[in-house]
Amino acid sequence: MTAPETPALDTVRRDALAQLLLATADDEFVIGFWDSEWTGIAPMLEEDVATSSISQDEIGHARALYELLAELTGQDADEIAFGRQPEAYRHAALMNHARTDWAFTVARRYLYETADTVRLEALARSSYEPLSQLAAKMRREERYHLMHLDTWLRRLAGSDGARERLAEALRTLWADALAVFSPVPGEEVLVRGGELPEPMATLRTRWLEQISPVLAGLGLPGPTADDLAAGAEDGRTRRTDAFRWLHGEFTMVAASERGATW
Amino acid sequence: MSDGTGPAERIWEVFRQEAEGDPMIHSGNVRAPDEELAMHYAREFYGRRQESTRLWVVARDAITELDDPDLLKPPFDRSFKRPGGYLIKHKLEAAKARAAEESS
Repeated sequence: MTAPETPALDTVRRDALAQLLLATADDEFVIGFWDSEWTGIAPMLEEDVATSSISQDEIGHARALYELLAELTGQDADEIAFGRQPEAYRHAALMNHARTDWAFTVARRYLYETADTVRLEALARSSYEPLSQLAAKMRREERYHLMHLDTWLRRLAGSDGARERLAEALRTLWADALAVFSPVPGEEVLVRGGELPEPMATLRTRWLEQISPVLAGLGLPGPTADDLAAGAEDGRTRRTDAFRWLHGEFTMVAASERGATW
Repeated sequence: MSDGTGPAERIWEVFRQEAEGDPMIHSGNVRAPDEELAMHYAREFYGRRQESTRLWVVARDAITELDDPDLLKPPFDRSFKRPGGYLIKHKLEAAKARAAEESS
């Protein structure tokens, strides 16, 4: 008979891993729903199809992550996705904002895609194999999301009126974008075990080093000292009316018949 | 685009290859202001369901077009330039009959 692993540590590790999966899944889920709102009204037909398709991809990534989480905790993936109250979602504050205009969407997506790229690169090295495998798959799709957004960022930055709108959106979003790298509860345990190969704070620094020169080169603002100093503790727990509204939209069908099978 | 974010949009013709070695087949076209977005849109329209192994995206104005009827549909009977232009069915039958006769 082999000695069982220390049960306390096991539970702690599992809970921390669940928090990491939930945070990542909620980010993908909520940004996917926000940007799906462009379906039918994007700047041109081709962009409409592209944006809708990318939003679908994100919701697909969320689904895969919720399923991983459900396996870990014995819950139901749909129930995690649609069965929670708004306050129980753990997406970064970046996803608390309403869709707003096209420049705002491009600014938010650019911040998110670049941050997600840094995070996925780390998760692809996770010692938790189901996660490292999923992250490797997601990276392949996120590559063209990032290319797409990079194209739009440079395009909008190249004209005066659009650049001003982009800059304004970035100024609004910076503090909340940094919340993508808010520490996950129990993170130390995951870093020790390699489930999260590096602390969020390290990833945050790497992300800032990558995108700051790009934005500066385009004449777009980086984070202010205040943005950088903003408390990260509630970066994934504060919710807004804009998100409560979106939550009402995306849970509408599930709420109409609880537990229905499709 | 009308919001001053770039030059007027162009039409890009898209060709796709289903499997390695297959011919590139014209699939349709997309509108985009530049090559980069044209590639993204071509990918979304003709590749997002994993139906393509390769896409060619060509600006329509980079295509040299020939549609002059004098050059393509000359008024004379040119059926003899087609593989089926000569009717050899009867000649062939006669030759076969002759060969059969000679060998009997």
